Amino acid sequence: MPVSLADILALLPEILLSLGALLLMMTEVFLAGARRGYQALLAALFTAAAFAAFLAQRGGGPRVLFGGFAVSDGFALFAGATICAGLLVTVVLGAGFLAPRSAERGEFYALALLAAAGMCLLVRAEDLLFVFIALELMSVPTYALVAYLRTGDRPSEAAFKYFLLGAFSSALFLYGAALVFGATGRTSLSGIAAAGGGKLLLAGLALVIAGLSFKIAAVPFHMWAPDVYEGASTPVTAFMAVGVKAASFAVLTRILVTAFGAPALAAVWQPLVVALALLTMVFGNLLALTQRNVKRMLAYSSVAHAGYLLVAVAAASRGFSGPSARGEAVSSLLFYLAAYTLTTAGAFGALAALERMGPDPQPWDLDRFAGLAKRRPWAAAATAMLMLSLAGIPPTVGFIGKLLVFKAAVDAGLVPLAIAGVLASVVGLYYYLRVVVVMYMQPAPLGSVPTPASWPLDLVLVATATLVLLFGLAPAGLANAALSSTGLLGG
Amino acid sequence: MILPSAYLVVGALLFGLGLCGVLVRRNALTAFMSVELMLNAANLTFLAFARHPLRGAPSLDGSAIAFFVIAVAAAEASVGLAVVIAVFRSRGTVEIDALRSLRH
Amino acid sequence: MLAVSQLGSWLPIALLFLVAAGLALALASVSALVGPRRARGVHDESFECGSEAIGSARERFGVKFYVVALLFIVFDVEGVFLYPWAVLFRELAWPGLAAMGFFVATLAIGLVYVWKKGALDWEH
Repeated sequence: MPVSLADILALLPEILLSLGALLLMMTEVFLAGARRGYQALLAALFTAAAFAAFLAQRGGGPRVLFGGFAVSDGFALFAGATICAGLLVTVVLGAGFLAPRSAERGEFYALALLAAAGMCLLVRAEDLLFVFIALELMSVPTYALVAYLRTGDRPSEAAFKYFLLGAFSSALFLYGAALVFGATGRTSLSGIAAAGGGKLLLAGLALVIAGLSFKIAAVPFHMWAPDVYEGASTPVTAFMAVGVKAASFAVLTRILVTAFGAPALAAVWQPLVVALALLTMVFGNLLALTQRNVKRMLAYSSVAHAGYLLVAVAAASRGFSGPSARGEAVSSLLFYLAAYTLTTAGAFGALAALERMGPDPQPWDLDRFAGLAKRRPWAAAATAMLMLSLAGIPPTVGFIGKLLVFKAAVDAGLVPLAIAGVLASVVGLYYYLRVVVVMYMQPAPLGSVPTPASWPLDLVLVATATLVLLFGLAPAGLANAALSSTGLLGG
Repeated sequence: MILPSAYLVVGALLFGLGLCGVLVRRNALTAFMSVELMLNAANLTFLAFARHPLRGAPSLDGSAIAFFVIAVAAAEASVGLAVVIAVFRSRGTVEIDALRSLRH
Repeated sequence: MLAVSQLGSWLPIALLFLVAAGLALALASVSALVGPRRARGVHDESFECGSEAIGSARERFGVKFYVVALLFIVFDVEGVFLYPWAVLFRELAWPGLAAMGFFVATLAIGLVYVWKKGALDWEH
């Protein structure tokens, strides 16, 4: 396997993240004083450097790395930059959330950086073995992160559920990969596409899709998501909702379009993905309707958003759409991922800012939002902006994302699916706007103790809400970046 | 002489057993072991296909994959057992049915 | 070449299993039918060697054993990667040495972390 220095340099973002993680581990054993604020700063610096490295690599053509194990193309760079943005929000959230609970440790940031390195490797994987290793590098630190805050029963229970389902889905994926390897004799995605295969290949394809469906929490593989999202500490939930989902969607799309892109195979998986998208949009939104627990509501909301993203994946199918429609679908997926990352990370930031400290059976009840508009008008306005974006109402980035995805679906001939998506998002309006109504119309319940404000959390709220509005009013820059980032998957 | 198909049959059986184990067993450790069974089934299948490919000549690719899977599975197992220990410390049992503080 | 029908050559093994099971069953039933039964006193003790059986074998072990066992497994399995590298040492040359140096350094950092955190300390 020829390895050149250029190949290693192409992995600079992942190397930065890993080095940052190792450094943070070492600060925890050698420099662990009472003051740990510098650890968040260090983690944020390494994350920002990785983000910058992704941006700096844009512009070059697609490159194959390490003799075909990985690639560096626009798709990977855009998705990687999105993941780093999500990580940055997570780090700041962690600093603002953990410090008042005296739970700030270097391990938190080290694990998050390691998981993010796995995610960034995942989005550029070009070989099933590489996919598996990156998938585990993403998942294993995340299992540990879910158990990070050890207060009460919830985190360890959530961690166990996440671990069991995560390991189960990895095993499904791996067995599917073994069958694909058997059918084609190859493990590289392009090699699989060139070799083709019979029934064994189809069985492998089904298992690969099932395994990744768990990771993206698509209905009917979503049952772990609400429990795990509720049980994990809020910054970790934000990280799972944005990072794990974005990376898993990127790799799912790459595998389906590259390895199984032949028309005969696409004819098999596209109906499957359409069915998953339909189920996920409908049930994600319906299940979110009944939740008074805002954290659980956001968990189901992230399930519903997986449905909209699956619409874009279905539209990217090669068998049914021409090259331009496919490029449009892939770029709409990237845009939606970026919009979703910003909005969802911000929404969990709002939750973290209001979460009651200390033991409480209902720390995330809708009542926590009551009267917020009077008490902290800016935080309320930012939260309202984020909820509007989740619901897909203009002038927010969430609206543009939905518009692009549904337009791509229509152009790919999936008109009924697009209509179903629009109807499902109308259902979603109810539970997102209910939060806004409670903030502005209801007085705070008597005797409630407001959570003290923390500037990192306020920073997250204001920054994400501003970006959500900015990209909603002037989406051209981000949309063009996504359009020029389809990499090996477009055209 | 053991036939190549035998490896595949054993692999599929192991995978099926593991799958049923995860879905049916109510003890955290047993469920966890079932997942390990599934990973090993995949490994066996990789090795069988590497040694007796359906197409082309035998290659070392499948064997190399098995190496990596073993290492990754060990890392996953250690984190998983640590999580099980955390569950046991917080509630004194590892029965899955007892994990219901997150139901609504 | 992978037809399931070729499983027919497993017939001898299946026969072996049948014979073994039948023989075991036959011997056990013969001894149960003919042998004398005196289940008391010295007959209930464990046989000669080994220590006296006290209590249940399903005792609880301290969690520290698990921690050390887990750490051993992880480092042990990672060490497996050294073997193929050692076999191909000359062909991989300097890039191989650099890569393996980075790998081992990462493992060493993990070991330092574990050590400093006191996970290897038996007494606490």
